[in-house]
Amino acid sequence: MELVSRKVFRGRMKGERKSKRKGQSVEFHDFRNYVAGDDLRLIDWNLYARLDQLFLKLFQEEEDLHFYALIDASESMNFGTPTKLHVAKQLAAALGYVGLCRADRVSVQALGPMGRQAPALRGRASLWKMLNYLDSVDSGENVSLFEGVKDFSLRNSGTGVAVLISDLMDKEGYESALRMLIGRRMDVFVMHVLSPEEIDPPIRGDRRLIDVEDGDSAEITLNNYALQKYQETVKSFIGSIKQFCAKRSIAYLPVRTETPVETIVTKYLRERGVVR
Amino acid sequence: MNFVPALTNPLALLLLALVPVGIIILYFLKLKREPVEVPSTYLWSKTIEDLHVNSLLQRLRRSLLLLLQLLAVFIALIALLRPGYRGESTGQDRTVFLIDNSASMQTVDRNETVSRFEKAKLLILEKIEAMTDSDSAMLISFNDRSETVQAFTSDRARLRDSLNRVTITNHSTDILGALKAADGLANPRRSSEIADVNDVQVADAKPADLLIYSDGRFQTVVEFNLGNLRAEYIAMGSSDVENLAITAFSTERNAERPAEVQAFATIENFGTSSVSTTATLTMNGQFLDAEAVQIEAGEQTGLSFVIETEDAATLTLTLDHEDDLEIDNIAYTGLSPLRNVSILVITPGNTPLKVGLETEQTAKICNASFFSPSYLQTEDYKKRAADGTDDLIIYDTCSPDEMPLTNTFFIGALPPPTSTKSGRNKDESNASQATANDSTEPNAEQNGQQPDSGLPKNDAATADANPAGASDANAANQRDLNWRWASPESSVSLIDIERSHPLMRYLELFSLLIFSGRGVEGPPGTIELVGADVGAILAIAPRDGFQDMVLGFEIISRDEDGSPVTNTNWYAERSWPVFLLNVLRYLAGAADATGASSFQPGETVRIRLENAITSPSVTRIGGSSVDVTPGPGGSLEIIETEVPGNYRVEDGSKLADLFAINLFDPQESAIATVKEIDIGYESVASEDTTVEQRQEFWRWALIAMLGLIAAEWWVYSRRVA
Repeated sequence: MELVSRKVFRGRMKGERKSKRKGQSVEFHDFRNYVAGDDLRLIDWNLYARLDQLFLKLFQEEEDLHFYALIDASESMNFGTPTKLHVAKQLAAALGYVGLCRADRVSVQALGPMGRQAPALRGRASLWKMLNYLDSVDSGENVSLFEGVKDFSLRNSGTGVAVLISDLMDKEGYESALRMLIGRRMDVFVMHVLSPEEIDPPIRGDRRLIDVEDGDSAEITLNNYALQKYQETVKSFIGSIKQFCAKRSIAYLPVRTETPVETIVTKYLRERGVVR
Repeated sequence: MNFVPALTNPLALLLLALVPVGIIILYFLKLKREPVEVPSTYLWSKTIEDLHVNSLLQRLRRSLLLLLQLLAVFIALIALLRPGYRGESTGQDRTVFLIDNSASMQTVDRNETVSRFEKAKLLILEKIEAMTDSDSAMLISFNDRSETVQAFTSDRARLRDSLNRVTITNHSTDILGALKAADGLANPRRSSEIADVNDVQVADAKPADLLIYSDGRFQTVVEFNLGNLRAEYIAMGSSDVENLAITAFSTERNAERPAEVQAFATIENFGTSSVSTTATLTMNGQFLDAEAVQIEAGEQTGLSFVIETEDAATLTLTLDHEDDLEIDNIAYTGLSPLRNVSILVITPGNTPLKVGLETEQTAKICNASFFSPSYLQTEDYKKRAADGTDDLIIYDTCSPDEMPLTNTFFIGALPPPTSTKSGRNKDESNASQATANDSTEPNAEQNGQQPDSGLPKNDAATADANPAGASDANAANQRDLNWRWASPESSVSLIDIERSHPLMRYLELFSLLIFSGRGVEGPPGTIELVGADVGAILAIAPRDGFQDMVLGFEIISRDEDGSPVTNTNWYAERSWPVFLLNVLRYLAGAADATGASSFQPGETVRIRLENAITSPSVTRIGGSSVDVTPGPGGSLEIIETEVPGNYRVEDGSKLADLFAINLFDPQESAIATVKEIDIGYESVASEDTTVEQRQEFWRWALIAMLGLIAAEWWVYSRRVA
């Protein structure tokens, strides 16, 4: 299994993925005229014998892939059974492990201050480091998506595959954050984690709803009509994200927390082309 | 469909109408929201924004709880308006309910689970429920006495309470009193004669419906005019009944062999089919004898049992047969041991009387003392008379100053006037006692001279004793209250004998010769025992719980020399000792000692006790004991006689007397419902009772309301949980 990148990026080190660079892999890429100073080892001597001209034979370069898994560790992610953060960490670990196995450069990090401590890992042996880091990630990183992504972008200048695992419930909106990732020419995947309690809330009656992140409250009489309205709002919210992502070639993948992670990885992520 | 509002005050209705408004206001004001944490209010805020559009109407439209509450209140309002359907209304807005609570109403007819009385109460209750606010009703219960349980009122609650207070009794039935009570307002009486043109009617007649709930088992009422009362007879029960009844049960101790007692019972079949069963006799609760009984419908039979006992005993006869009316399936009687009676005889000398009281038979039950008339003046006599020590005092041709506190028997003399206590009368009375024979002659002559006036000797004395001159009316009234001679002295021929009276039992008197006698007239209540051509020659009258018997002729007269001569051949007849035995038994009270009397339920029982008993108690066997206080002379009035049974009058642990309470009323035992009753000149047929029944819906409305409240609570619990 390997992570799929829909774009070809330049890597930093020799790896197993096509790079934009021409290099020394076994896969032929192109010919070009010899100019002075070129490495004589790259001249195709068979052509010279046939055409009596010097051509250089170019090969594809194979480099590593930068893979970033960005976990939203805000308080809202600590909701549901299992919690959305737990599912997000499982997904990040699974994808990171796939990356590590394929010698990619993997960086799994939480948005916010915790992300600064995230190590960049490579090789299967780094799995434990990654898992230790994930263990240390806890909810309470109440930074907005945009701030978190901005902080990530400033710290990581490279391009690659970025998987944002979040519930996207940010009162400032998710759009600016995704735009920033796109602007960094990242191949962006959005894994939208929602718990069943959010999609179909089991509460009824006259309630005062309290936001766990900012303590904001909303009074509502939860009858069937209100719930119907809420579900329509949720659908509309998901629809708007899908539309936003489709327009910007962002792969959108809704994830429900009651679905087992192995099912998500082996089935849904494969179907959506995140792994193969 | 019509409504009978439970609340008629407009203010109250307005307040009720404000209740739903109040609920809606409270719904918003007192809304208690339970806090709950959500990951983000981001999406909820969007939802709430949508809901804010028409939020008030949305809440009202979608809040099931509020709707349920409002619906419950609405149904409660409907219930308060008391919706119902009434088939037909009566013509008049005043109703008199007459409910029969006599013994026959205890009948539980076939195919019925409740008694006639309970069914009548249910029917009346339905009528009460169907009343409107403008209707008023009155409730009268009747058995052998009537009771106005509730006067005219429109208050249904009071009528219901009054109806609940009416209970069934064991009494017989007499509807006349109830009809008179119902008659009052419907047919107001005039204050004077009808022909008096100056008279104005004292009150307007208020016509009313008279609803009689009864089985019709009462005597036809003839002296009553319904007038403005519109009578309806609602016949309770059916004519197809089954009832076997004991209509008589008594005991008689054999005078020859006192230990032998005979018990007699009469059993009648008042049902519509023949019945064969057994009658069981128990003595003191122990089985004694049983006899098979087979009686055709409408027939009767007699049973007799012979018992050997010398002691007091209570006997119960039970029919082992379950029928519609149970109270007459059991009869009670009692048996007391023979006891002596004490007789005081004041006589100047009367050998036949003495011999008659000293026969072997009378000596067993009699302890007689003989004194001459001069004994009347002694302190000893006065004490005996005042204490009522003797069970009977016989005054032979003499009379005391004052009547003693015991039963008396006057032979050839009259009891003294009740209100004359002047010295002159006393003197004259004394004179009459001293020379009884002499004094009667002039009076007889006087009466003979003034036959029209009919003024007897004592009355003449009374009139003379009043020098101030009382009015004629007073004199006439006084005369009516006293014993007096009704005719001058003459030979007597007997005409009639009251054979049904106990004192006259077994007597054959028509061969009697009476040389000289006079008719007697007594105070109100006098019973003529022997009638003759000169009037009543033997009469008995009650006096404050005692009885006075007067014989209008002497047994032994005195001739001019004062020698005794016989005035009659009675002493030579066989009837003489029998008569004296009857006197001892029934006037002196010896008979009470042989067999307990039977009274009807509710009847006041009057018995005499020995003076030594000061604090007797009355106990119904199987019931509780009641302490009673005897009156002067040991007379006892017992009024708690509602329940049939054997009653013991006890002095401590000693039995003083026995009596029994039994229904013994063929009118009550004949329980077949009468289809038509006669009141005055009108016949009232039984009517169907189901036509006017009002169907009430308010109870269903209340049940629906409770269901709604339960549903509301369930919905609420589901939401909060």
